[in-house]
Amino acid sequence: MYGGGYIHDDQKKKPEMQAEDPVLLAEFEARIARGEKIEPRDWMPADYRRQLIRMIEQHAHSEIIGALPEGTWITRAPGFRRKLALMAKVQDEVGHAQLLYSAAETLGKSREDMINDLINGKSKYSNVFNYPAKTWADVAVIGFLIDAAAIVNQVANSKGSYGPYCRALERICYEESFHLKQGHSVFVYLATGTPTQRAMVQDALNRWWQPIMHFFGPSDKMSQHTETLMRWKVKMASNDDMRQQFLTMYVPKIWELGLTLPDPNLKKNPETNQWEFTEPDWNEFYEVIKGNGPCNAERLAVRRASEERGAWVRAALKRADQHYVTPLA
Amino acid sequence: MNIQSLDPRVTRLGIDSEEKNPDQTLQREEHWETFQVFHQKKRGEKHSSVGVVHAPNAEMALLFAKEQYARRGETVNLWIVNTRDVLAMDYDDYDVFSTTPEKMYRDPAGYKVNEKIAAYKKAQLDV
Amino acid sequence: MFNTDTLNALRRLLLAMADDHLIIGHRNSEWTGLGPILEEDIAFSSIAQDKIGHALGLYSILNEQLGEADPDTLAFMRNETDFTSCQLVEYPIGEYDFSLVRHLLFDVAALIRFEDASHSAYDPLAKLARKVKGEIKYHVFHASTFVKQLGQGNEESKARMQSAINQNMALALGMFESYEGEELLVQQGIYKGEAAIRTAWLGEVGAILLEAGLKMPDIDKLEPVYGGRKGFHTEYLQPLLDEMTEVFRIDPAAEW
Repeated sequence: MYGGGYIHDDQKKKPEMQAEDPVLLAEFEARIARGEKIEPRDWMPADYRRQLIRMIEQHAHSEIIGALPEGTWITRAPGFRRKLALMAKVQDEVGHAQLLYSAAETLGKSREDMINDLINGKSKYSNVFNYPAKTWADVAVIGFLIDAAAIVNQVANSKGSYGPYCRALERICYEESFHLKQGHSVFVYLATGTPTQRAMVQDALNRWWQPIMHFFGPSDKMSQHTETLMRWKVKMASNDDMRQQFLTMYVPKIWELGLTLPDPNLKKNPETNQWEFTEPDWNEFYEVIKGNGPCNAERLAVRRASEERGAWVRAALKRADQHYVTPLA
Repeated sequence: MNIQSLDPRVTRLGIDSEEKNPDQTLQREEHWETFQVFHQKKRGEKHSSVGVVHAPNAEMALLFAKEQYARRGETVNLWIVNTRDVLAMDYDDYDVFSTTPEKMYRDPAGYKVNEKIAAYKKAQLDV
Repeated sequence: MFNTDTLNALRRLLLAMADDHLIIGHRNSEWTGLGPILEEDIAFSSIAQDKIGHALGLYSILNEQLGEADPDTLAFMRNETDFTSCQLVEYPIGEYDFSLVRHLLFDVAALIRFEDASHSAYDPLAKLARKVKGEIKYHVFHASTFVKQLGQGNEESKARMQSAINQNMALALGMFESYEGEELLVQQGIYKGEAAIRTAWLGEVGAILLEAGLKMPDIDKLEPVYGGRKGFHTEYLQPLLDEMTEVFRIDPAAEW
């Protein structure tokens, strides 16, 4: 559900793009240009495989970690309707993680390796989930605005070239529409409720706005690398374009309720039709990616503890003659 | 020292905040095998391939498939098949299918007789 | 159709069932995102949601047919001593072995209860039971599959399952605590009564444990943990309720 947004790729460590057989590469690129999908056992450039695994894996990690901020309030949801809805929503995030790990597995990386790399810090996930969900109103802001940002990202990616990822995204996008409605509903009830409720959601908005502005990542430098990823339909839209789309769709929905955003420069320029805003603090963004955000340590510790405490269940049921093979799409 | 979280559930888990995250938490194949899942929405319709579940055996796979692939909308039936038991064609062999669309002798559209009927009727009138 | 004493006993029955389902659903929801493997995390969460849904159905009957307050008020505004859930369901989730065995013992009873209730002379209960018993059938399938497979898994899982059964059994017997007016409900065909459900439950649980290669504790040597139906609870229920109602009580009159 929480579409990766920004895909982390450490530029300094990145190897040169691998040379590939020109004939196979040309056929591969022609297939993509025709709008056809690449399926798991097709020939594909090594960099295509590597980038896709990275992207889908990060997306999967974002879902399973994303279950934790809103999970903070699962036992405290007010009333039956909100209780059931939040349980279902957080469950869906775990479900989306499962779907996305499965899609990434078709490219040859095992789920165990992916989860290990999440816990040991080698693989990243969306930064936005390294922030704390301090009040019930945070559930509203996360459920409404972060889901909305994720949907912008997912709708773009669903037109990508890799079959299994597109199929997973189709299912995910359908479930997301429930999440958005549910999140927006909590948001509206708080914003139009008692003074206490309204203050709660305004406060949550003030705290989450910068992480939300960080969600799509910094401006893309249009490098050779980015250009190739776009030609291969791995990257479907620029970070800036997606951020603009998000602002156009959702800032009015915040302002129509009389709520404010903590950026006095945020406005749509009528001549350029582009949103102008105060550039968020990208130093903080990189610090959080490195592991120094408010909740990074806790999020990974919880994931580690869950896997460790469940180990006896998995070991007890594992058959001696078990033999895993790469799943089909 | 245990992690004190904003989430009371996490605080209750009693997780040591000093404990380091290992390089390898999971061993190979700890998450079992995969099973392909096929879902039937209504009686009379076909089962469609909807994805996979990780499971230790077929019974568990069916149990998990119900939750992952049938918790919304309509379902009347589910099948699961161990991924190992599925024999798939290579996409590289797509050329075995390349002439199939042209085999008009197998297609209803390959049999046009309207011209012949019209010519016959016209000839009858001319007689 | 039913006299005052019968209706009062009916309220007690429905409230006890509703409270049981709310509290166990709430406890099981604590596993969401923290389960032993993704697929099971998803499954257990659905089961917890179903339980909360069943609680809502039962509270709704109390509200719409029997003059009690609305479901949110019943669930979020009563005091700890007003809850008539059995003590089994209020215990913390423990490790997965404890939660799985509690899930088995509770759900085998719930299935018997709801199958019986689907023939109830009290129509609103019969309707609800007919509607939801299919869900409970799956819950029992889930629980028994896990307990059987873990009971025959490896040395560790066998030991954990047996230990969890020993820990849970006396608490589980507390599900069948009697209450004032129960015999009126049995006489009027509203349900078959706690003793009958308990007998059927012992048979079913015994059969599952046998298949699982696990030992059924000697029931005659166990003291059932009663008190819940009369509003006596362990030290675990108050903190659970405080947590569950924390946001709601910020302003019970507000719309959330």
